[in-house]
Amino acid sequence: MTRRILSGVLGVVIALVVGAIIMLIEGYEPLATYGALAQFSLGGIGPLTTTLKNSVPLVLTGLSAAIAFASGPVNLGQPGQLVFGALAATLGGLYISLPPVLEIPLLLLLAIAGGALWSGLAGLMKQAFGMSEFIVTLMLNMIADFFTAWVIAYPLMDRKAFSPMTPPIARSGWMPDIGPLNSSVLLMLAAVVVMWFVFQRWRAGYEWRITGQNSLFARLGGCDVRGNFMAVMLVTGALAGLAGGLVVMGGPHRFLKGLGANYAWDGIMIAIMANNGLVETLIYGVFVAAIQTGALGMELITNVPSEIAQVLQAVLVLVIVATREYAAVVFDRLAARRQARERAA
Amino acid sequence: MDDFISLEHMVKVYPPRVLAVDNVSVGFQKGEIHSIVGENGAGKSTLMKLLYGLVPFDSGVVKINGAAVHFRKPGDAIAMGIGMVHQEIELISQYTVWENVVLGAEPVRGGIGGTLDSARAIELVRRKIDEFQFNLDPSAQVERISVAALQKVEILKLLYRNVSVLILDEPTSVLTPQEIPQLFAELKRLRDKDTTILFISHRLDEVLELSDRITVMRKGKKIATVAASETNKEALAQMMVGRQVIFTSKRTPHPRGDRVFEAKGLSVTRHDGLKLLDNVSFSVHAGEIVGIAGVEGNGQFELVNSVMGLAAPTSGSITVNGGGITKLSILERRKLISFVPQDRGKMGASLPASILDNAIMTHHRLEPRFSAWRGLVLNYRNARAFTDTLAKRFSVQMASRQSPFRSLSGGNQQKLILGREFLLSTPFFLMDQPTRGLDVGSIEYVHGEILSMREANRAVLLISADLEELFLIADRILVMHRGRIVADLVAEQTNIEEVGRYMLEGKITA
Repeated sequence: MTRRILSGVLGVVIALVVGAIIMLIEGYEPLATYGALAQFSLGGIGPLTTTLKNSVPLVLTGLSAAIAFASGPVNLGQPGQLVFGALAATLGGLYISLPPVLEIPLLLLLAIAGGALWSGLAGLMKQAFGMSEFIVTLMLNMIADFFTAWVIAYPLMDRKAFSPMTPPIARSGWMPDIGPLNSSVLLMLAAVVVMWFVFQRWRAGYEWRITGQNSLFARLGGCDVRGNFMAVMLVTGALAGLAGGLVVMGGPHRFLKGLGANYAWDGIMIAIMANNGLVETLIYGVFVAAIQTGALGMELITNVPSEIAQVLQAVLVLVIVATREYAAVVFDRLAARRQARERAA
Repeated sequence: MDDFISLEHMVKVYPPRVLAVDNVSVGFQKGEIHSIVGENGAGKSTLMKLLYGLVPFDSGVVKINGAAVHFRKPGDAIAMGIGMVHQEIELISQYTVWENVVLGAEPVRGGIGGTLDSARAIELVRRKIDEFQFNLDPSAQVERISVAALQKVEILKLLYRNVSVLILDEPTSVLTPQEIPQLFAELKRLRDKDTTILFISHRLDEVLELSDRITVMRKGKKIATVAASETNKEALAQMMVGRQVIFTSKRTPHPRGDRVFEAKGLSVTRHDGLKLLDNVSFSVHAGEIVGIAGVEGNGQFELVNSVMGLAAPTSGSITVNGGGITKLSILERRKLISFVPQDRGKMGASLPASILDNAIMTHHRLEPRFSAWRGLVLNYRNARAFTDTLAKRFSVQMASRQSPFRSLSGGNQQKLILGREFLLSTPFFLMDQPTRGLDVGSIEYVHGEILSMREANRAVLLISADLEELFLIADRILVMHRGRIVADLVAEQTNIEEVGRYMLEGKITA
């Protein structure tokens, strides 16, 4: 446990140093840049709540990927599931108007159903035709991408707008702010807690974990491997769909062109950084959101382009994964050398 | 007589803290057969790999003819005349015997960049074969020759490189009882031509028959080096295990009860028509241990898959307690069948999962006390108590319930699996090579537990490639050969020789 924290912190530090070296080569001031980055992401209530709100789609898609990878199914369809969730919530918000206490849960359920529908389709293809979910989810991403692009450019396009987007959803479907904090953050935290409980305490979660580690053992042990596969696909799709719904309901309140953008791919990277740990996904998700949020402000007061945040993010992923794997080897080797010296003496 | 090779104060720690070789000093003389014996994990293979330059050591000195040497890779050792044959055969199956032998050191026509001189290569290989009377055809394709012949090719590869020290890592583990004497005769001939043979084994009978001297290792330490003529099996076993070991069966007469398991006309046909399991019928009664002997790959795998529900048989039926199981799901079968697979890491456990997670497998579905809220949530309090009971009852040595399963030693892993399956309280027990890869102490323990299942009136089907094991604990021995059961023998009325011949030939021909 302490070792895991140590190698995580070490990874972040090394990544920041590498990032600083890149900035120095480019002729920028690393300390000032990091200072601005921190100031606009963590310095005060405003930046902090913005960072948290921005972390919602990252953490939820990260959670989706982490649970899928740790349970076996290679669900890489978070981008498609996210836009389908967003589309479902948007449709509900355009055509149904209820008081907020009913409207919000309804739109959230629609988002969850939209994501689960899209991942469930991939799951069915695997069950029925033996197609690898790896390739099917990737292909369904493309279909989802262009389908939603068509929907917002033709049937649902807002004639008054300059770029493809839908009209705004019903006001009662907006995620309310609680003081400076958007309530979508609370939903995200609730989702992490619930998923942790399902994964660590439920019988289904136990079977998912074991199946992810050794599916033959799980199968021989009497676990319902087929059923669990479908359940994991549906749950992880639902999480990505929820992310999409919250992006619409908490932010622009309509489906904009390019809404999915990179959230879901970032989420998959976060799951990889977190080694599929759920709590780690939350931590790294907020961390990445801080970098992305801070980068926009940083661009305002320094002459460093915000693209440096993307470079930093890529370096982080690589260095954190490398540090985790290599630290284990180094720790083991040090222990071995110590013991060998004792025995030889 | 001075030692030809001497290892002085060798230490090897595998990261993080597996002390594999603990300050071992031993000498080998020219032209002797020197066996290294010890239980699994005693460090015998590692010690030889240190000598061979395959594994770097942490401290110590290797001397040849009194001069210190340091091999950084096996190639250095081979250049100095030391070669090692590993447990796994590493040959290219599409190549012929001679192509495999010369590979990497081919005779070439026309210097660098020249062409392979096949005629000379064949001649050189044939000369080596004749010199050591190996009875091999240099032009035979490797995928068509027997395992014993493959092993000879491995040895020949080294002799071709003019090696004068041969290290053999458990070479008999892949051979049938009939093939072993021939290998031993060849090894003795090699020794008489002044080759030093270092023979790693844990089969004491073989070691006593073959060796001039024997070094015993236990838990990484050298216990003693003794002349084979001045020791016996009991003394060696005691040195190996650290206490007395009983080699005779503790099996006492036990009345057999009703029929529990029955297979009728079980067949598995491969897509090309080959019958992997051919009309197999037999039954196992309560309080009876039925052993299945046979060289691996003669239908045991298909039998296990059919019983466990991993693959459906092409035809035939299986019943447990009178009810057909061929249409049941695996979970339904597990209410009737306990199963110990041959490969712990692949089928019997999840290595990265905690010991607790491994202990409750199957129980979590079959026993209500492990779940709450109608099976939605696991009851971890009961799971923890169960894991502790299991570990205590089956003496599993563990750091904590939450440690990963892979942190356990092989023997402890098997005890946990055995205990988990034992506590399922099913009428029928299927065991596929339950002692494979275990040390003598653990094997003794597992055998004791299997016998106590018999006492508890459970029906046990034991698949094993180890004939001694079958004779120690089985009441009846069935022999499988090419997918068929070719003999059904009562343990008291047969012997290893007879079973061995059924295994190889499928029938007894006068």
